[in-house]
Amino acid sequence: MEHRPPEIDLNEVVVKYRPVVSFKVRKSLGAQTPDWEDVVNEVITQVIEKVKKGEFRGDSSIGTYIYTITSRRIVDHIRQKTKVLKSIPEPAPLPDPCDDAETRERARILAEAIQQLKPKFKEVLNLYYYQELTRDEVAERLGISPRRVSERLNYAQKLLRKMIKT
Amino acid sequence: MRKCLYANQIDDYLLNRLEGGAREQFEEHYFNCPSCFQQMEERDALISTIKSRGAWILKGETAAEKRDWVPAWKRALSSFTTRQWATVGAAAAALLLVIFGVLPQFRGSSPQFVLNETEVVRGDSLTLMSPIIDVRSVPTFFEWKSLGQEAEYKISLYNGGLLWSAVTHDSRIAVPEEIQKKMLPGQRFAWQVRAFSARGALIAVSSKVQFQIDRAE
Repeated sequence: MEHRPPEIDLNEVVVKYRPVVSFKVRKSLGAQTPDWEDVVNEVITQVIEKVKKGEFRGDSSIGTYIYTITSRRIVDHIRQKTKVLKSIPEPAPLPDPCDDAETRERARILAEAIQQLKPKFKEVLNLYYYQELTRDEVAERLGISPRRVSERLNYAQKLLRKMIKT
Repeated sequence: MRKCLYANQIDDYLLNRLEGGAREQFEEHYFNCPSCFQQMEERDALISTIKSRGAWILKGETAAEKRDWVPAWKRALSSFTTRQWATVGAAAAALLLVIFGVLPQFRGSSPQFVLNETEVVRGDSLTLMSPIIDVRSVPTFFEWKSLGQEAEYKISLYNGGLLWSAVTHDSRIAVPEEIQKKMLPGQRFAWQVRAFSARGALIAVSSKVQFQIDRAE
């Protein structure tokens, strides 16, 4: 029996997966890499072409399929860069495309919200996220249980979400 | 709503505590789980903000106090009399004398540089000493070169994920027996040390060294 490729709404796929692919690419290459957006566009183009050609047969989920394409493209990009860098000096880094006015504004609002938290929440954010101690270490440092540390972290994030929305 | 089983790996992923297979597995998961991805984007914004501005946003001062500070300072200066200006001048001269005349005589150790998330110490300021190559038996201690100043060292041992972490003021630390039992021959391990100042600021990070315990033992 002929294996028919699954029906895929490409517009929906692009809208849903562009932010996910962008996150993975930025995380792997670093937001300072000037051409990370080009890599994202290349991945999206490849996905569209492969789905149109019927290469996606539904053996895995579309998410896993896009993840595989993204990972391979990142590896290729790093290889290409390494080859280019051997012969040509790297150009001066361009301004961070992510560092636009909207992102800066969101970060400012979040920073102000963090400042307004009670000291016990700031303390746990500082030790866990800034100093990168583990939950157990934070618990030991503050003389509370690891479960309490998790509760404070979760509650701090809940408060921040609420403060940012208002 | 039921919580996704992978949700508790978000922090570990963003703080680079997931390694190898676990990292790839989590990445594949968030390509398939919109809930985890949404939480991760939110958490990433929080961590980035804390990392880039942590030094001042985690202090007690509120944003309102910070904004009001400059006008208050300007208001105070505009109301000064000639006599008060003279006092300010004398105080400034005395301060300059202390800074440039007296303090250099009590010059202490070298300045400490605080690293942010994207910076890594290069050179040998925090050098790992043992184990740094494959070993024949399970190591009973880890040793590194002391920074020569009062510092708190945090050691982390990985075998795919974080296996053990501990804090000490010495430049070596014994491996607890229960951790030694978990270190099996043939497995690959990696370890890293971070140094914190007395005030809790990150001052140095070692490179991550890998080693393996030989099967022959």
